Amino acid sequence: MREERTGTRASGGAKGSSLSRFRPYCQLFFLLLFLYLFLGTAGGGADETARSVKVFLDLDPLLQGTAALAARSLPSDPSVLAALGVVVAVTVLLGRVFCGWVCPFGTLHDAVGSLRKGGGGRGRPSLFRVKYLILVFFVFAALFGLQTASFLDPLSLLTRSLTLAVWPAFVFGAERSLDLIHAASLEGTADLVGRALRGSILPLRQPLFSQALAVGLLLFLLLALNVVLERRFWCRYLCPLGALLGLLGRWSVARRDVAKGCDECRRCERGCPGGAAVGREGAWKGEECVLCLGCDDLCPKNAVSFGFSRPRSPALDLGRRRVLTSALAGAAAAALVRVETPAASVGGGALRPPGSLPEGAFLKTCLRCGACMKVCPTGGLQPAFLEKGVEGLWTPILVPRVGHCEYHCTLCGQVCSTGAIRRLSRGEKASFTIGLAVIDTNRCLPYAHDLPCLVCEEVCPTSPKAVTLVRETGGRRPPRPRVESSRCVGCGICEAKCPVEGRAAVNVLPGPGPAA
Amino acid sequence: MERREFIRTLLMLSAAAFLPWNGLIGAAEGAAAADLAVCRGAPPEKATRAAVEALGGMRRFVGPGDVVVVKPNIGWDRAPEFGANTHPRVVAEVVRLCREAGAKRVRVMDNPVADPQRCYRHSGIAEAAARAGGEVVFMEERRFREVRLSGLGLRSWPVYRDVLEADKVINLPVAKTHGSSVLTLGMKNWMGAAGGWRGRMHLRLHESIVDLALLIRPALVVLDATRIMVANGPQGGALGDVRRLDTVVAGTDQVAVDAFAAALFGLRPQDVPYIALAQQAGLGRMELKGRVRHLSL
Repeated sequence: MREERTGTRASGGAKGSSLSRFRPYCQLFFLLLFLYLFLGTAGGGADETARSVKVFLDLDPLLQGTAALAARSLPSDPSVLAALGVVVAVTVLLGRVFCGWVCPFGTLHDAVGSLRKGGGGRGRPSLFRVKYLILVFFVFAALFGLQTASFLDPLSLLTRSLTLAVWPAFVFGAERSLDLIHAASLEGTADLVGRALRGSILPLRQPLFSQALAVGLLLFLLLALNVVLERRFWCRYLCPLGALLGLLGRWSVARRDVAKGCDECRRCERGCPGGAAVGREGAWKGEECVLCLGCDDLCPKNAVSFGFSRPRSPALDLGRRRVLTSALAGAAAAALVRVETPAASVGGGALRPPGSLPEGAFLKTCLRCGACMKVCPTGGLQPAFLEKGVEGLWTPILVPRVGHCEYHCTLCGQVCSTGAIRRLSRGEKASFTIGLAVIDTNRCLPYAHDLPCLVCEEVCPTSPKAVTLVRETGGRRPPRPRVESSRCVGCGICEAKCPVEGRAAVNVLPGPGPAA
Repeated sequence: MERREFIRTLLMLSAAAFLPWNGLIGAAEGAAAADLAVCRGAPPEKATRAAVEALGGMRRFVGPGDVVVVKPNIGWDRAPEFGANTHPRVVAEVVRLCREAGAKRVRVMDNPVADPQRCYRHSGIAEAAARAGGEVVFMEERRFREVRLSGLGLRSWPVYRDVLEADKVINLPVAKTHGSSVLTLGMKNWMGAAGGWRGRMHLRLHESIVDLALLIRPALVVLDATRIMVANGPQGGALGDVRRLDTVVAGTDQVAVDAFAAALFGLRPQDVPYIALAQQAGLGRMELKGRVRHLSL
């Protein structure tokens, strides 16, 4: 595509009026902004996050819309409403500008696509419908109370992939490089770099996540489609957010015009990243156009132009049967998931982060973006696999053995876009109960082996402590820990630090204790 | 050795042992030099400075160009008033004293139990120590070194390299109760220089504490008892569990400092098993008679 463009310039002359040369800078700006916010989604020891990737989840009408539909409650966060308002207004007015100029996932696709040799790849004109059908599925599933858009929404997918896979892998690489520098008897350099970056760029702890491989692989495969099949394959055929924005922008006033000089050379058609330019003006698909304005540049006759005109609704033929099938599939998926035995009743023992909505509402509103897992200072928030049922895939659960819930930390609630995890005040957090620690007396060292150990008591953060000592009067056995259920908040630090190998001898079970 | 030479050496030694002490301490307290100074009074900076001065000043412990590691207790995400961490103003003053004594670098660090970034920040230590001229650093995983201890409780354990390799190490504990170790004082503070799965030390906790204290051997211990936590330790969390004592203890004998601090809680040194064990191991003496210099502001 690039060679074609240069060729065009040479023959057709420079197009001074074209806005399209600003597009890469605009894309880069938003990609960097996204990464800046993503990396800033960390506490750094403070009570509040300085910045948060939440903004990008806030502005996503697919995520917010399906969550609202499934939960039957409109977003109330003013920042969400404002961000949504801007995106919807721009889209209604101008079309899929977001896809072509803003979306960080789209930018990544463009970047990876530029590695592809020999043009954008053959178009698959009939596949464009797939994304609409996916959208219909999501909407109907949401209508029946199942929120599935978050599995494939580009912003959720990207945030989740960065959190669970890309960022941890980057940290791993950076640490191993420092190890190498260290090993190459350049200890001073490694220490200097390590100290300088620790706590800012490099986290204190290597982030580790279950399913990192699967999530990372999915991202890799989607990006690889750019090279293997065609450029922006995801955006053209699969992206449900793109489909929604396309529909929202159907009546936009930004139109593509083709003047008389067109000799149907189809260069614009081949170079179109959205598959929207189909020869003459009448065949232009407004919903597919990402407003890159590239066809304006490509046209050797200078016949293509973009301008404002009275909106007309072009025909969008998705096929009535296909749409109906998708809608039914969405509804059926919701029904099938709903008739699964709830995870909680088959002993699903996973803890939700503090401030989480009741499980039913949580599953409907969690965007599975992983922002809470990114910000969690101990790394204890992990993506669920089937612990919370099929529906709970990639939703956050606290796994104390990986990391406990810091007693005064309220970061996860601060970065949650939909309020699936409510923002707690410091005071609320101190007594917010997510579970109850239960001592396994068959494994606990003082109980089972008469060995002295009171780590759980030492680390218990409540005042007075929820884990107390029981001393045998006159006996020679070591004191034993005991959980006062009315004080335990279920933070799991006892489980995290329990020195018993393998499964801890104290385990936090979800839900409040009997005293609550 | 010639008789003449012997006499000369003896004279020189007694002069060395006697004269500088008089000069430095500014008061004669008998032939034995005080190795424990206790200062009561506020503010914490002045008490800290006075206690160290009473031992001969920081120049006795830190020389020009030294790389010093200062190890406060920064174990918990608690504000200074709760007494769970060393008082930031005590830490800052010790950093300042080291800088005044000509230290090239004063590194302040701990291996906290709770999230390190929260602990460093909310303890107030990160900011106070940095402002006093210290380098506040987080411990790096790769800088722990497995040390063969063949000790009472530990065969070998990862210990932070900076602590092992510093020219001078200064221990800066806070005094508080502890469910497992009775009290956490100076020697117990060395668990914050250890890496690995520290919970596993608890099987032979007192022995392990002594092993670490035998290994690290600080040039100086400055124990913060400006306020002590008397219940719900080592984390506390309620101001009702904190007693204000306005006391700073400085010493060179790790056992003596802890023995003195135990008395602040109304305990005998032998009530704290690791103190007695440390004396048995030859690390120092619990007996305080004639060794303590009391000052008040």
